[in-house]
Amino acid sequence: MRIGDSLPEWHVEATPTFVISTAIATRDFQDVHHDRDLAVKRGSKDIFINILTTTGLVQRYVTDWAGPEALVRQVNIRLGAPCYAYDTLKFFGQVIEREDQNLTIEVVGRTGHGDHVTGIVKIEVMA
Amino acid sequence: MNAAIVGVGATDFSKNSGRSELQLAAEAVRAALADAGLEPSDVDGLVSFTMDTNAEIAVARELGIPELTFFSRVHYGGGAACATVQQAAMAVETGAAKVVVCYRAFNERSGHRFGQVQTAAAVNIDNSWSYPMGLGTPAAMVAMFARRYMHEYGATSEDFGRIAVIDRKHAATNPHAWFHNRPITLDDHQASRWIAEPLRLLDCCQETDGGVALVVTSAERARELPQKPAHINAATQGSGVDQFTMTSYYRDDLTRLPEMGVVARGLWEKSGIGPSDVDVAVLYDHFTPFVLVQLEELGFCGRGEAKDFVASGALELDGDLPLNPHGGQLGEAYLHGMNGIAEAVRQVRGTAVNQIADVEHVLVTAGTGVPTSGLVLGAS
Amino acid sequence: MIDIEKEAARVAEQGESAPRLARDPVNLPMINNWLEAIGDQHPGYTEVAPPAMVQVWTMGGLHGQRALDDPLGAMMKILDEAGFTSVVATNSDQTYHRYLKIGEHVSVTSTLEDVTGPKKTALGEGWFVTTRSTWYVGDEAVAEMRFRVLKFRPAEKQEPKPEPRQAQAIRPSINRDTEYFWEGCRNQELRIQRCGGCGLLRHPPGPMCPECGATKPKYLVSDGRGVVYSYVVHHHPQVPGKQTPFVIALVELDEGVRMLGELDGEPSIGLPVEVVFTKVDDELTMPSWRPRADR
Repeated sequence: MRIGDSLPEWHVEATPTFVISTAIATRDFQDVHHDRDLAVKRGSKDIFINILTTTGLVQRYVTDWAGPEALVRQVNIRLGAPCYAYDTLKFFGQVIEREDQNLTIEVVGRTGHGDHVTGIVKIEVMA
Repeated sequence: MNAAIVGVGATDFSKNSGRSELQLAAEAVRAALADAGLEPSDVDGLVSFTMDTNAEIAVARELGIPELTFFSRVHYGGGAACATVQQAAMAVETGAAKVVVCYRAFNERSGHRFGQVQTAAAVNIDNSWSYPMGLGTPAAMVAMFARRYMHEYGATSEDFGRIAVIDRKHAATNPHAWFHNRPITLDDHQASRWIAEPLRLLDCCQETDGGVALVVTSAERARELPQKPAHINAATQGSGVDQFTMTSYYRDDLTRLPEMGVVARGLWEKSGIGPSDVDVAVLYDHFTPFVLVQLEELGFCGRGEAKDFVASGALELDGDLPLNPHGGQLGEAYLHGMNGIAEAVRQVRGTAVNQIADVEHVLVTAGTGVPTSGLVLGAS
Repeated sequence: MIDIEKEAARVAEQGESAPRLARDPVNLPMINNWLEAIGDQHPGYTEVAPPAMVQVWTMGGLHGQRALDDPLGAMMKILDEAGFTSVVATNSDQTYHRYLKIGEHVSVTSTLEDVTGPKKTALGEGWFVTTRSTWYVGDEAVAEMRFRVLKFRPAEKQEPKPEPRQAQAIRPSINRDTEYFWEGCRNQELRIQRCGGCGLLRHPPGPMCPECGATKPKYLVSDGRGVVYSYVVHHHPQVPGKQTPFVIALVELDEGVRMLGELDGEPSIGLPVEVVFTKVDDELTMPSWRPRADR
């Protein structure tokens, strides 16, 4: 795990089931995350993924790569284009800093509409 | 020809890449070289085609390609796709270059949109007989042919729609396709809005952001490289009598694509195979009606019979002539035919998502309605 | 006028909101629901919770109401009243001081950290509101989050202003070889190129006859009558200078050449038509077609 190492590209199929089940599992009951009629009425193309889920996916992307021993210390994300139902969310990542056991990983999650999420994750790995 | 495609690479296909066109080109070329097991320093030739903003030298700079002994750019937009490979193969055969990369990259959806009226194109004197009259989009230009074809052969909008349904069906199982998991029915096609009658929205390919690159080298060199080579059995260009770009309306017969007939004759003659030897057909499908005409020009069926040929199921993955297993440009992405060549290479390698069994020969065609080109790629 | 900065200062002065206790202690069933939905196969979450779940514990739930002292809620209300009615989250920065153990019961407090604006954004003019939330187990701060939203006034949908150049029809390029045609249109004549050597009629024209090689192009004046050979009804996209839908017809003239033009009428193949000239300006007159009265 060195500076410049890339994380393997990871694709998440944002099916309606995925959007809704993650919204409920993160206890986010806003209608735009589970009711397409209301989401469309409010000007969205479809239901879309909630922020807590995006945070969870970013964490998972990094720990899937770093392994279960790694400890997550920080998840800082900037939100862009919504990730709608039926979108494919593609994650890319790269190690941008390393100090001893502390790594900073830059993560981008992108759909066909543009960047859904960009951010950094700080983790601590085993010596 | 004594040359083969030994590497293919592509970026993601999207509606908003978030990168410059040069970055897309550079990423695609780098991916193709990695696939080929070659380094940028091995490359000494680059080929693209017109309407690509990425200069050969700019791509070379980004990749760190030190020297080029061959660079070329083929005319007439999408019609040039297969001709880039022909140029590369000729360069390799003549010793003009040893390793040539063909590329195409653009932000066709988020940047300059190809489906809109190209007011700038009207300065071309040929276009002054169409654009000022209101005929200014590729869809409308193809629609003029399609209407006459329907009139002469009794084809219907549904006959065109069947091509879209097949492409989208194949794209549905291709994770790289923009329309992955989104098949359509003939009813969906019939319900889609008019763009330029008789063409509906679902007769028209998408606009895509992305890039594709192909690596060509000699058959000898190919043997030392990691991938199973896709041998270039034949490559040719074609332009027909009284040829215009998209508006060849002044020929006797408006139901044909004589330039594709030129390509067909050249491909069968040079490769020594015929239509019945083709295992997979990757036909240019920016607009559905011209897929029917191509089937006729290439000799897969007689004049006016394409609608029956298509309806027979021949173009399904388990049919006699599987069409665009990647989903074509209607389903996967519109990279002006380059993604179709990449699919042909995967079919020869045996690594395609919708792989056809025991592929010996794949036919690829380039843009229709314009001076065009074609390829026969083979396993040997 | 609402003084947003003053109101923001008032909210900020209230400091930390009262601690709000999570509905449930950190527990395995909710962790497992989360792992299942996210698809996370991480084996380590049997004693501790995934850190990214920290906010989940204190979510308001299906019928949740914001507490009266919640600074984000207060700020949203102020900005709503000032006309900044839409909201979009822009940043979430979470720091986890330690992993939460099953059975621990967290509470959360919030403060208003920053309100800046008005800023012009792609979405419209708005204010960035930043809050800081802290999660506690007892007195111990276990996690923190800086959360930023943009509260904005949606940019008015701009009516596509007809740009003068776009609205005008596309003009032809004219050169030495084609000037005779456009000059003819200005004089209400539909001219067809006729080779001065062999008499070949040709449209579109060119400088050298493909039949005999002569470079003596002349022209004849057509009767301007013919039949529709093919046609298109154009719907999308918009075409400069045209009202969609409109018809473009490829007409085979009685003299034998084909020519494109707009058709004012119900199209069909074989429809007899005649030419009409429309003056655009002193320089340009466009030919088009209309159905023939004598058909």
